[in-house]
Amino acid sequence: MFASRPELPASAVALATAIRPTAPASSRLLPVVEPLSSLLPDGALRRGGTVVVTGSPGWGATSLGLALLTAASTSGHWCAAVGLDDPGVVAMAELGVDLRRVVFVPRPRGAWAAATAELFEGVDVVLARPPARVAHTAARRLLARARDRAAVLVVLAEHRDDWPVPSEIALEVTEAAWHANGRLVSRRAVVRAVGRGITGRPRYVSLWLPGAQGAVAVAC
Amino acid sequence: MVRLMVLWCPTLSREGSRGEEPRRFAEVLDAAVELAPFARPVRLGVLAIPSKGPSRFFGGEAVFAEHLQGVVGPLLGGAGRVCVGAAEGLFAAVLAARAAVLVAPGATGSFLAPWSIATLRDPDLAAACQRLGLHTLGRFAGLEEARVLERFGLDAVRRHRVARGVDGELPGLRDYAALRRLDAVRHRDEPSEVQRGFFGERGGADVRAAAAVQRLEQRLGHGAVTVARLGGGRTPDDRAALVPWGSADAVIEGRDHVAPWPGRLPSPSPASIPSRPLAIALLDEHGHRVTVSSTGLLSAVPARLEFEAGRPRVVAAHCGPWPMAERWWGVSRRRAHLQVLCDDGLAVLLRAERSRWWLSGIYD
Repeated sequence: MFASRPELPASAVALATAIRPTAPASSRLLPVVEPLSSLLPDGALRRGGTVVVTGSPGWGATSLGLALLTAASTSGHWCAAVGLDDPGVVAMAELGVDLRRVVFVPRPRGAWAAATAELFEGVDVVLARPPARVAHTAARRLLARARDRAAVLVVLAEHRDDWPVPSEIALEVTEAAWHANGRLVSRRAVVRAVGRGITGRPRYVSLWLPGAQGAVAVAC
Repeated sequence: MVRLMVLWCPTLSREGSRGEEPRRFAEVLDAAVELAPFARPVRLGVLAIPSKGPSRFFGGEAVFAEHLQGVVGPLLGGAGRVCVGAAEGLFAAVLAARAAVLVAPGATGSFLAPWSIATLRDPDLAAACQRLGLHTLGRFAGLEEARVLERFGLDAVRRHRVARGVDGELPGLRDYAALRRLDAVRHRDEPSEVQRGFFGERGGADVRAAAAVQRLEQRLGHGAVTVARLGGGRTPDDRAALVPWGSADAVIEGRDHVAPWPGRLPSPSPASIPSRPLAIALLDEHGHRVTVSSTGLLSAVPARLEFEAGRPRVVAAHCGPWPMAERWWGVSRRRAHLQVLCDDGLAVLLRAERSRWWLSGIYD
């Protein structure tokens, strides 16, 4: 009746190897919320990479760094925040971060690099705020560790120079202005993306960081 | 309150020099779970079981208690005594186990009355009550709640409710550190209910994350790794707290979190909440301190903001204030919040409390 019959695998193990899918390219990426995707080369965080987030104090660099955790945490990836001794947990909830997937190491007692490296073993995205300018060797070692463990390192710093190694992506808040109407309603921030991962001219995106309900949105 | 049966093994209540008590109590616990699946440890040597289901299954509370003793007794090798008691609420049930009685339903209040005030685990309160001639729980329970609040404060009111038999959860009755050790002994290193994934299962990623966190805790010490807990409240610092990883009270989202809180500060919330109170000075254009009146109005328009360190900033705009008078029935707390926008783009949330201004958050 049939011209040919497909070979049956000899055993269940053979079957399992035969039908196992090859790793799709998307597994090397961790999602970010839609408003931020236009800042990143693949529209997502690439595993093994670094993102440096900078901005003047009060301009929304912390919000931007926390917002990068949003989609990763809601899609089930574990995130960590190292060295943020003052995280705005309610603000994180308003940004949409799934707090059940976030661990905090608020005061790593001078061992932030060691703590970050340790967390790469089991956590997909680590947001770290180094206490001072990072030494070149420490930064190199962390990069190698992140690449090895296929995790993402997000560094929060005040100045671009605080992170001594060229990063794939550097996000900088270049402008920020609050809109107030009886209360602080939203902040319009312009974020510039540069780095090795971005070819051509720097990208500029105007965002509500945060918007009226606390989430990030694209401002037109 | 739920009627509980408590099993107490006096010989396993204290960890000896050889440290084998947690392991042996874990065996007792496993045996009790075989009989009644909802058996839960309270502290080392004490476990509690909601009594209703098993009692019905075994045909009566007394039969179940006997059954429990029959199963657990041989595990202790005859050397240890096993006491079983039942009553409404955990506190009364633990005392019932100590006395080895099954308190009749509804008689919990009269059962509690003759016990010493010292059973409330508060030496200061006990000493004060002894001086007042209130030696027993019954005498203490006879006080009016408002009087207890006036004289002893909020914590004593919780203990007063326990003494009256209205509440069973005495603070300090559950020993969470011992329970964590017990979990480790039983090879169940699930940090807490909260850290579970979809449908309560733990995927490979969760196990890896828990392992990494545990290694980090070994390096930095217990409590260095925290998780967030959201609760009810009006201000960001009331609504959220960081609690140690794996602590039993790490309830991420309680009912309070979604309940309406009239007068809650509007979102967005500050992305940075100082972990310690920072006093700051808010001045008007003449350099006088700005204050909030009892009616919730500012004394002057704020013009300058001075931090303890760092340069002073010029105030560009302000929103608020939002006055709050909370817990006026008890330990009252009056404060007012103010959003201040500086000319360099920095926005901060300030709190006026005890006639000073404090930094409550930075909209970073």
